[in-house]
Amino acid sequence: MQTTQAFSSEFYSALLPELLLFAGLLALILIPNLGKGTFRIPGTQIRLPWLLGGQRFSLTSNPHLPAWIATITLTGAFVAVADSLNGGVETLSVVSSDADTAKELLMVNGFSRVFELIFFGALALASFASMNRLKVEGVGGKLTEDQLYNNRRQADFYILMLTCGLGMSVVALSQDLFVLFIGLELASFSTYVLVAFLKESKAGAEAGMKYFIVGSVASGVGLYGLSMLYLWAGSLQFEVLATAFATSGTEPLPLIGIGFVLVGFGFKVSAAPFHFAAPDAYAGASSPVAGVLATASKAMGMVGLIRMLLIVAAPEASEGSAVWLVCLGALAALTMTWGNLAALGSTNPKRMLAYSSVAHAGYMLAGLTAVGAWTWDPSFAGSEGEAALLVMTALLFHLLVLVAFKLGAFLVLSILESDGDASRLSSLGGLARREPLLAFAMFIFMISLAGVPPMAGFLSKLMVIMGIVNVGVGNSASSLSDFHWVWWLAFLMVINSAISVFYYLRVAVVMFFEEPEEGREGPLPSGWQVRTSILICVLATVLIGIFGDSLLEMCRTAAESLTTDW
Amino acid sequence: MQLVGFPVVAGIVLLAFVSNTNQTARNKLNNPIRMASFAFSIGLFAYTTWMFFEVFANITSDGLAFNDYKLHDSYEWFPALGIHWTVGLDALSFPMVWLTTFLLPVTIIATWHEKNGATYFPTILLMGGALIGVFVSLDLFMFYVFWELTLIPMFFLILNWGGKDRRYASQKFFIYTFTASVVMLLGLVTLYLMQPDQIGTGGKYGTMTGRTFDIPTLVEHATAANQDGWFMGESMQKVLFVMLMLGFLVKLPAVPFHTWLPDAHVQAPTGGSMLLAGVMLKMGAYGMFRLPLSMFPHALQHFQLALMIFGMVSLVWGAIVCLGQTNLKKMVAYSSVSHMGVILIGIATMQPMGWAAALFMMFAHGIISPMLFAVCGAFKHHYHSMEIGAMRGMAKHSPWLATSMMFAWMASLGLPLLAGFVAELMMLIALWYFIDLEGWSVLWMIGPALVLALTAAYYLWSMQRTIFEGGDETQPPATLHGDLIPDITNEEKIAMLILAAFTILFGVMPWIGLDMMDDYCRTFFEHMISNGIFKGGA
Repeated sequence: MQTTQAFSSEFYSALLPELLLFAGLLALILIPNLGKGTFRIPGTQIRLPWLLGGQRFSLTSNPHLPAWIATITLTGAFVAVADSLNGGVETLSVVSSDADTAKELLMVNGFSRVFELIFFGALALASFASMNRLKVEGVGGKLTEDQLYNNRRQADFYILMLTCGLGMSVVALSQDLFVLFIGLELASFSTYVLVAFLKESKAGAEAGMKYFIVGSVASGVGLYGLSMLYLWAGSLQFEVLATAFATSGTEPLPLIGIGFVLVGFGFKVSAAPFHFAAPDAYAGASSPVAGVLATASKAMGMVGLIRMLLIVAAPEASEGSAVWLVCLGALAALTMTWGNLAALGSTNPKRMLAYSSVAHAGYMLAGLTAVGAWTWDPSFAGSEGEAALLVMTALLFHLLVLVAFKLGAFLVLSILESDGDASRLSSLGGLARREPLLAFAMFIFMISLAGVPPMAGFLSKLMVIMGIVNVGVGNSASSLSDFHWVWWLAFLMVINSAISVFYYLRVAVVMFFEEPEEGREGPLPSGWQVRTSILICVLATVLIGIFGDSLLEMCRTAAESLTTDW
Repeated sequence: MQLVGFPVVAGIVLLAFVSNTNQTARNKLNNPIRMASFAFSIGLFAYTTWMFFEVFANITSDGLAFNDYKLHDSYEWFPALGIHWTVGLDALSFPMVWLTTFLLPVTIIATWHEKNGATYFPTILLMGGALIGVFVSLDLFMFYVFWELTLIPMFFLILNWGGKDRRYASQKFFIYTFTASVVMLLGLVTLYLMQPDQIGTGGKYGTMTGRTFDIPTLVEHATAANQDGWFMGESMQKVLFVMLMLGFLVKLPAVPFHTWLPDAHVQAPTGGSMLLAGVMLKMGAYGMFRLPLSMFPHALQHFQLALMIFGMVSLVWGAIVCLGQTNLKKMVAYSSVSHMGVILIGIATMQPMGWAAALFMMFAHGIISPMLFAVCGAFKHHYHSMEIGAMRGMAKHSPWLATSMMFAWMASLGLPLLAGFVAELMMLIALWYFIDLEGWSVLWMIGPALVLALTAAYYLWSMQRTIFEGGDETQPPATLHGDLIPDITNEEKIAMLILAAFTILFGVMPWIGLDMMDDYCRTFFEHMISNGIFKGGA
């Protein structure tokens, strides 16, 4: 493992994606403000053009410009991450100073890189697709103040997208709970505003408010837990906390502290019973934003959970099971069942997708439980750790491919929203007749969410199940009573998948079978950007499902790097 | 394997070709697409038939033994997970593959004038490709993938071309069979992970190494392990047997898991029904033979009686329900349930002959039931009704349809010299072997005996009410609104003739297919008995 200090040359090359985002952020603030502004030297008549303010140039006043800047920046960051993943990631730890007492702040390794890939991929697709969503009031020409203000909002939206990405990647990189929390808050605050961004609709404002209140309460609780941990260990470094936990982890103070921190992350992954704000937020937000919440934001919560549960509160290698095991197992069972049952009853496609996202959180929690049930050995020595490694690989892979089909489904709804409304199941009616290709794409997303082969969703779900079964079966079980109880989580997951087919399929049936709503017979509004995004999602869903081997390898290496040098 | 790849690719290409056109352009495309699909399916049929003569016809005895595969091939799929797409054909799968390729062109002919042909025929091809995939895959993973893949085209066939309640039926069909197969999936995964280490080469990594998805390797190892005890331990073998059988019993379907079938059949279009009854139901029986029966013979012995009861109940219940049906297609659907009971009974006898009977029943029913459904389709097509008794005296005004119906009905009730008879006779003989002629076990014979009478009753009764009774040309049924009664179309005639010809062919010369099935079952039982897994047998 290499260590380096902040602002060294290795630091710059390793954190290139984040720096790119930062540059993009500056560009977003600067470029739309470039104009014919001049500066008069005091006391003279000389006006020097300094390009800030004044009447904007035709290029910089183009309301589509911020979207392009954000998309290109995020895509660039995505490519940078993918490129560094391609050659195998050299672990690089960023420390605060070169003294022996240096604190480890950030760590770049395969694990964090995969998460960056998830964040930037989802955000890039969402920004690109949002280009058709935000209302643009004409380009150039004479505009009223309101129209100008509306155009101005474009820049705000994409600035928030970039800060969201920056915050998320800090969460993925951080090696210190405090740094992690800063990243978490940066990302959270961006998403609160993004959710409320659809101010034209009542639902948007209401959703933003709800999401903000519940979210800030969850953050507050998390912060309180953080302070307890600090009180107990005297540091918020993962390393220090983990060492302390190994010796005195079963004391009430750290357990309560960890529990509180988990509430904060539980809200982010929308695990029951912290999921109540999610359906409202998803339904009120514009669909691409909801897609980001369901993919990138959830992945961010998962990073937190993984770090807290498997690194800080990791069970002793000899103990065999973690203290939080039963608790998390119950939570997983509750989350997946609740999500699925609630999705069965919802008639709003966005709420349905929100609940399905809750159910998927449950599947992932079940995977985490399985990791905890295995003798967790940070060095993964021997084949014993293999099962846990398999689950970790599966989790990373699941989060990664979720971007393709979950976000894709939201993007299809986004087109319907621009057509008027997507809050009722019947608004999908007759989609097959109106736009056969779009209906086909939605169908692919739905069956992938349900886990039907050969889509990517099947592979990821299969791997999670396989990992859990592997842990449950162990090396020596020869009858059902020898199984570890986590095997039943796999059973529950399978039953839940079967339940979920019903509501995923209902979408397909409505699209292919029902008549379009009154006055909505024609084709949907065009917009090649969002359609391109959907196309990318469809291709990823199908191709990863069939040729996903190298991606699996990548997740595997990433999962390994979590354990070799966290 | 090209057999799978071609229809799937062709189907997708044709679908993509039509997807971007509007309705009028699509109507123009109906004919070329139909011709292309038809030519393609004929080519596939020619290929499998050639395969039969080249590979399977002149194999001397023991050439098609248990766990011995022809045209064995393996492709890398997910090397990281140890998944290879292994394909191969044996006496279990080859008849099914041939049957599928045989039914594809026949289905296309029989439903020549189906509406929206431009999308219908490619969907049929996709269906065929997925079905062939199930039968040729010798890898647990790929087997499951194709198993689920068959649901999608069938779902759309029912949804887009089905009857009035197609929405309900297609959803019920999908959810019912999907639920069963995810339970089966959990069984497969558990089987994969619980297999003793170092059987196969497996994937690259820790847990994966030494494990294999490869069915031949697993079966070979299981057979060896079963000699001295239970493969994977007693309770585990039982649990896995139950989990896998559950998935297959729903697909078969056996009573009480059969309720999706009548709905799906009644609502499905004729082509969908023909493939559903002809091949898709056989996936259940095929899966049983391929996995649980091959790997868990101890558990099979343990659950023999349960299987026998399932079989008997399906047989009798299906027949009794048939008696009460007024809808022709529903009656035929329930008769399928009854015939699937025959397969279960054949398996439960645990006699080589019983197994051969089950295998031949799969094959024979795969030819006869499409004919039944083709007749139902023609009936619906020409009389706009499925009600038995809505149309009488068919023999006078629609001699072709009446003859086809009579032939199909007779074939299904087991008339000698027709394919179904061979299987039923073999099942009865095997059942006599199973019964030791002492004590109460003779009572098992009541079921088949009862059903022989019941089957004759419902078939003859329905024929009497449609073909013979009444019949006044001047008074067409009310559903036709006074239209002239037409006989079936030429395409339907051709399809019926082909199906009838093959029913006779396999009734008169059953050994064409039976020989290899017999080889398989004989070697299987010889193997099991000589290794002391089964105690004796015929």
